[in-house]
Amino acid sequence: MAVREILVFPDPRLKAVCKEVKSLDEGAGACVQDLVDTMNSHDYCVGMGAPQIGELLRIIAVDCSRYRKPVPNRGLIVLLNPQILTAEGKEIAREGCLSLPDYTGNVERAVRVVIQGLDRTGRLTLVETEGFEARALQHEIDHLDGILFLDRIASLKTDLFRRKARA
Amino acid sequence: MRRHFALTAVGRDRPGIVAGVTRVLLQAGCNIEDSSMTILRTEFAMILILKGPGELEAAALEKDLSAAVSGVAFFVKELAPEEVHVARTVGQSYIVSVYGADRPGIVHGVARALAERGVNITDLNTRLVGPEDKPVYVMILEADVPPDVPGDELEAELKRAANELGVELSLRPLETHAL
Repeated sequence: MAVREILVFPDPRLKAVCKEVKSLDEGAGACVQDLVDTMNSHDYCVGMGAPQIGELLRIIAVDCSRYRKPVPNRGLIVLLNPQILTAEGKEIAREGCLSLPDYTGNVERAVRVVIQGLDRTGRLTLVETEGFEARALQHEIDHLDGILFLDRIASLKTDLFRRKARA
Repeated sequence: MRRHFALTAVGRDRPGIVAGVTRVLLQAGCNIEDSSMTILRTEFAMILILKGPGELEAAALEKDLSAAVSGVAFFVKELAPEEVHVARTVGQSYIVSVYGADRPGIVHGVARALAERGVNITDLNTRLVGPEDKPVYVMILEADVPPDVPGDELEAELKRAANELGVELSLRPLETHAL
């Protein structure tokens, strides 16, 4: 178990598409532990994807109980090969990422999600959640496909006045 | 007959600029209609659309503003009646995200590809972020794409330009959600 260095863009590994975890061997187990340890070593960090520690595997860890404000959460969630089964609703909120320091943006995410994946023991599990925790899970799953929050920016301003379309 | 003016102001930021400018405008009988202000590092910039008395001269207003607010450059331009309307988009709006290791030519490369297709940039924001020895350039812009330009063609052209520049590029339609 180790706290690993977090990769910072433009490290090309952050744009890679990660590989499915085929077997729950020592390598996968160590990766999960390192991911959780690294996430926990950063104040208020609520999520991390394996590529952020340089492991191109489809593994994420999310723990919204660590957020600076109280939010509904179910504590530590570890998912291998996560898949979003359903996504409903749209909400825009400000996001940042440890792999892209000094920048935040208005990002659109689904409000309610149902996500399937394997837990750290290899058992198929379903996570049904919404709001902040759903946002964190979507952000981390994006990392597994080389997608950064910059690719999901919904608007430059908090849009008080939008240009009108020609009638 | 009241007329419209465009006023721009640029200078080193400090408290009191807006208070100083608006005092002059109020005394000159001007109404501030639309405006936008931004601060980048130490510098402040503002653009305002004003409606003022028929006898108001742009040059005179510039002079009064410079006298009242030091350290700021002012430019006032009278707008012809047909120039004054709410800006309208002609087609579908898109958000384009560009990011990569900083190097000269990123903004121009993308802007040129857009201009070649008659696409108008309606909003633009760039930032230099990350460590000083390895800076990352982030550009987010909003683009008004004419109806005769297919979104997938534009995407392919933009990605080609981004590839040549060694940066990442993605785009998505801008949506307005009526709640």
